[in-house]
Amino acid sequence: MNIFKKSILITIFLFIALNLFLLIGLSNIVNYPLTVIDETGTAVTVPKEPQRLVSTAPSNTEILFALGLGEKVVGITNYCNFPEESKNIEKIGEISPLNYEKIISLNPDITLAYGGFQLKDIPRLRELGINTIVLEPLNLRDTFKSIKMIATVCGIPNKGSLLVNNLTKRVDKIKSKVSGISISSQPKIFIGGTSETIYTPGAGTLFNELITMAGGQNIAAGLSFWKKISPEFVAEAEPDIIIVPVGVMNQEEESKVKEIISKRTGWSNIPAIKNQKIFIVNEDLFYRAVPRLVDGLELLYKIFHE
Amino acid sequence: MANQHHFLTLKEVCFSYSGDREILSDINFSLPKAELLGIIGPNGSGKTTLLNVISGILKPNKGEVFLENQNLNHLSIEKIAKKISVVPQNTWVTFNFKAKEVVFMGRMPYISRIKGESLEDYEISREAMIKTHSLSLSENNIQEISGGERQRVFLAKALAQTPQLLLLDEFTSHLDLNYKYEMLNLLKNTLKKESLTIISTFHDLNLASIASDRLLLLNNGKIEKMGTPEEVLNEENLHRAYKAKPILINHPLFNVPQVIM
Amino acid sequence: MNKTLIKNTGYVNWRKKLILILIIGSLTILGVGIICLNFGVVSINPKDIISLLLNGTQDKTKSLIIWQLRAPRIVLGALTGAALSTVGGAFQGILRNPLADPYILGVSAGAALGACIGIALQYVTGYILASYLPVFAFIGAMLSLYLVYKSSKISYSANSTGLLLAGVAITFLFSALITVLLALSRRELHSMVFWLMGDLSTANWKKISIITLPVIIGSSMLFFSSLDLNALSLGEEEALHLGINTGKLRIRIFLIGSIIIATVVSFTGLIGFVGLIIPHIARLLVGPDHRIMLPIAAFLGGVFLILCDVLARILMAPTEIPIGAITAIVGAPLFIYLLRRKNK
Repeated sequence: MNIFKKSILITIFLFIALNLFLLIGLSNIVNYPLTVIDETGTAVTVPKEPQRLVSTAPSNTEILFALGLGEKVVGITNYCNFPEESKNIEKIGEISPLNYEKIISLNPDITLAYGGFQLKDIPRLRELGINTIVLEPLNLRDTFKSIKMIATVCGIPNKGSLLVNNLTKRVDKIKSKVSGISISSQPKIFIGGTSETIYTPGAGTLFNELITMAGGQNIAAGLSFWKKISPEFVAEAEPDIIIVPVGVMNQEEESKVKEIISKRTGWSNIPAIKNQKIFIVNEDLFYRAVPRLVDGLELLYKIFHE
Repeated sequence: MANQHHFLTLKEVCFSYSGDREILSDINFSLPKAELLGIIGPNGSGKTTLLNVISGILKPNKGEVFLENQNLNHLSIEKIAKKISVVPQNTWVTFNFKAKEVVFMGRMPYISRIKGESLEDYEISREAMIKTHSLSLSENNIQEISGGERQRVFLAKALAQTPQLLLLDEFTSHLDLNYKYEMLNLLKNTLKKESLTIISTFHDLNLASIASDRLLLLNNGKIEKMGTPEEVLNEENLHRAYKAKPILINHPLFNVPQVIM
Repeated sequence: MNKTLIKNTGYVNWRKKLILILIIGSLTILGVGIICLNFGVVSINPKDIISLLLNGTQDKTKSLIIWQLRAPRIVLGALTGAALSTVGGAFQGILRNPLADPYILGVSAGAALGACIGIALQYVTGYILASYLPVFAFIGAMLSLYLVYKSSKISYSANSTGLLLAGVAITFLFSALITVLLALSRRELHSMVFWLMGDLSTANWKKISIITLPVIIGSSMLFFSSLDLNALSLGEEEALHLGINTGKLRIRIFLIGSIIIATVVSFTGLIGFVGLIIPHIARLLVGPDHRIMLPIAAFLGGVFLILCDVLARILMAPTEIPIGAITAIVGAPLFIYLLRRKNK
């Protein structure tokens, strides 16, 4: 064979190889049966592409809808409040204890569960033959991993990657903006509610991670997980900004909340109160391991630096 | 070694609740069968404690109690229950049993938990209720009858236990006048007919004098005097025990001393 | 046998009565149980149930729900109700206290502490421990049993007050520890509180196979002490005078009762009110004779708990109401009604 013919063959070969490579890489094909290891370390086998999905946690419900799988969801908990389209889906009841009867009657192919206090109900669920995958992401990275896993399990890995890529881009944007801000100009942040007893998130919580990423200094960063703290602790820390995570509130309720916090005994000297930097936010953006966490991150950045 | 002629013997019995002052000191006496012994003495002299030591539920710190030559200490409470029965001062029952059910409980020492009770147990219970004039109370709830009626029921229970020694603690205190004498008569008759030995504490000195064959005067846990009513009930003894100076007269019918304030 | 004599002496063939009670009681519970299979979040009509019971598996989902979920719950309810009522009645008898309940001698507080520790640990060590929660509860129960036994210095001369005081003291101590644990555990709080309120929804056949024998054998042993319990209500000294070894009796009732309760509570959590009230209802119906009252209480307790469980799972479906709340809300008015009828 002469060189000319050889080079054409090689080119054709490379061309086909490249296309095959791209084809496989970009293909949305998932090979069933598929086995994944979930949060509990259990190897769960998914026999075929699931058509009927049950979610036993609001975070899983949100992710399913974000991936466009809303049509396949047949059961959600009483607490799954987002998105709006999920309103009419059959309710399975509480997050714990799970209503096994209801879940069984819905005949799900896969049930997406949560860890935490639901963990103890999982063995029984599996005993009854319900194929369950347990997810419990505790930080942003794990949240993205969960999104990808759910997408793969449901046969749309590409959509998962796409969603995660978009979210990551937004996160990186914030990160780069924050890198330009010096530590000393990062405001001190206190997360607190209106209740007399103060519970605040410390290291290891999603909230704390978002605060740090958004360029703030959580006054409770030295504590781990959710801790009860005293009002003195807050007064001493002198936070610059107070963030109040609540459920849905209207304008009037919001100003009332700000008033209650401002008037709290011993807090009159706190910079956040003196400068009236109290912000009410939707708690779901910060407590749930869902795509909306990035919305929360962006909101925090705005509050802290703009 | 216990005296062969005596049914019940107490030898140098002393008793105190762990470490406290001595309630009973150096009690020595003997009792033949079919005798009614009345124990008298001021409040706090140890009458009820003495009764409990005799019945075996309190163990003396020193000394021994012999029943028919057997040391009570060596007998199980089941065996003791077949020989000794008690009518207490306090007759409160926690649950509202019927009177006949309470009387029936007197048969407990004889009922095998596995085989259960027999018709004979019911017959004996019924007999006891007839004797104590409490049959009419059979179906009444024990918490709803008067104190005196309850004491008759409890006497029936104690008799249903077919004891050889019957102990009574201030038995007549709640009874009406007519019942006081009637019950004492009943006791004396049973004593004679069935050779039943009876020990009763008395608050009422006159009743004690009439009813008892012998009296035991207790003072501060010691025997002040033991003997016939004439021997025990005199000014000297009564003054030593009760710190009072009563007048003593002779009962016209029974010919025993009576105390008048 | 002379019929008049029998009538007059009040001779009661209690053995015949007992067998009658056992037969009627068992049939009643069986009947109630089968009827209650109908009720639940998912509607399954009676025809399907009957054909399921007779023919076996047809619809796999329905079969699963009936046999793996509802039937075990009903059986567990019957066993638990019977156990709580029998032990409650026996403890009321041994302590001569109508306000006693099966939890008064401290075993339940120990089980609760054990369970709460188990729940707290499972968050740390992973969910493998979730299935072993009853073991934690049982160990806790045995610990408090030991402590109460030691601190009451049960001897032949001690009386029921010592036992009662020790039980109350240990209960307070353990409850305080539980409160501290609750305060420290924000994440597991929900699980702990739910366990403390009692829950039959975790019933399965394996658990039932573990508790059936102890409950039945233990309850039978309590029944055998009926005559002694009767006599004990005359008073401590009175019972001694009747030849009853009250010290031994107390230990026996306390140990057997506590082991029954520890076993049951380890699986169901603390279901209150049943052990306190059902014995009273039984007394109102058949009198205080423990030979009749205890078995009646057992069956009443079983039926009562089965019915309460039905309400717990259908009133606010698909949310389940804690069964401890139902037993109180249903039981209290029922008891008051019966009291008023009796006093008329």
